Amino acid sequence: MLNIVIGGSAGSFPIVTNILAKLDKSFSYPMFLCLHRLKSVRTGFVEALRLKSSVPVFEPHDREPVINGHVYLAPANYHMYLTKGNTISLSTEEVVNHSRPSIDITFGSAAKSFGSKCVGILLSGANKDGAIGLKAMKDSGATIIVQSPQEAQVKTMPMAALKITEPDFVFTSSQIISYLQKLKE
Amino acid sequence: MFDENDIKLLIKALNDSGGYDFSNYSLKSFMRRVEKVLYDNKIDIYTLINAVKIDNVFLEQVVRDVTVNTTEIFRDPSVWQALKYMVLPRLHARKEINIWHAGCSVGMEVYSMEVLLCEAGLLENSKLYATDINTDVLLSAEKGVYSCRNSEEYMTNFRKALCVNPFNREEQINIPPQKYFDILPAKDEFRVKPFLLKKADFKKHNLVSEGNPFGIKYDIILCRNVLIYFNQNLQNKLFAQFWDYLSDDGILVLGIHESILGPLTAKYEKKGLIYQKKLI
Repeated sequence: MLNIVIGGSAGSFPIVTNILAKLDKSFSYPMFLCLHRLKSVRTGFVEALRLKSSVPVFEPHDREPVINGHVYLAPANYHMYLTKGNTISLSTEEVVNHSRPSIDITFGSAAKSFGSKCVGILLSGANKDGAIGLKAMKDSGATIIVQSPQEAQVKTMPMAALKITEPDFVFTSSQIISYLQKLKE
Repeated sequence: MFDENDIKLLIKALNDSGGYDFSNYSLKSFMRRVEKVLYDNKIDIYTLINAVKIDNVFLEQVVRDVTVNTTEIFRDPSVWQALKYMVLPRLHARKEINIWHAGCSVGMEVYSMEVLLCEAGLLENSKLYATDINTDVLLSAEKGVYSCRNSEEYMTNFRKALCVNPFNREEQINIPPQKYFDILPAKDEFRVKPFLLKKADFKKHNLVSEGNPFGIKYDIILCRNVLIYFNQNLQNKLFAQFWDYLSDDGILVLGIHESILGPLTAKYEKKGLIYQKKLI
């Protein structure tokens, strides 16, 4: 089973919203979102993502078993680890790259737990979180995609990843969407 | 790098030399914490194992470093709203309210509770008990002086927790934070007002092995974001112990993204963000 893991920060929210709106209702892979949010925006984020989503979106509890076709958003102020047993682990350990949740942590755990059975996608953002994790995913055989820096609202995050690893694809957001749509075929 | 066998050797050393039992910690999170200790001290796992066997001061330091101390003033305001509107009103009839903060870290949750109780007119009748395995954080907790670094978040939390009524959003509630805290950016100090200090009983306690730290029944036990570091067996053991230690209609508060799974589910009733002890 393939796992889709997406990281993003400033400028990624409209893209994620769009991805979720355009997924087919029968999308059958589990998807994990690790998105930075403003410290003042702790609640209401998952509700906002749900508004247009065609698939169910949740903020998981610790040890929550993963269900195919569901989308899991890293809760505010927790790191989200993905595990081999297909459950989600949360932690309140120190911030990483000034971030909790940290994308490097979620991506790093995906690399360890899923190996090649995984697609990692890094979107727009204003810091370097996610680059090291995305490289780890690539090194363990995952397919990795970076949002085209030309298109990204804030290019720091995609650029940081491109500096240290070579993604399988550099895609615009509409290419990312059609890639995900084709996955189910 | 190190593997699970090395970790087992370390866990044995911590138990043999210090009496700390980490064998029921979630292996993954324990390994992450050990990685951090190795990185911070620039040593390898074998040096660490040998050092904790011979150096008790270092062993205590390692125990402090592998535990996680993240906390905030009024962390997750919706939990405090639930306590304020769903739990505290029915404690008014009590002569004495006993509250235990299990894993209290630097005490921010304890002082948040004192503020909530004070606003409800219940502080006088309340006894607060707070424990942690880490003696450093307990010293900070007793002082009630913190850095200003996150004071904006604390104030946002404070306003949401105390000044918003989720059942009537129109209601205007105005409680100035200065009533409870002195915020001194020039000194980088976020200070709890003196009248809130010395109210709580802070004590070193190992949740894994030491049972009920004060030997009484509690009306509320808060144990937030502690059990996520424990394996399922230890979680179950603690849910059972908390059940024993709670008064008949006692409340258990877990972290906002934690839940009771497994056999103890039947002994608690989940009411929104809190768990109520079920008598069976």
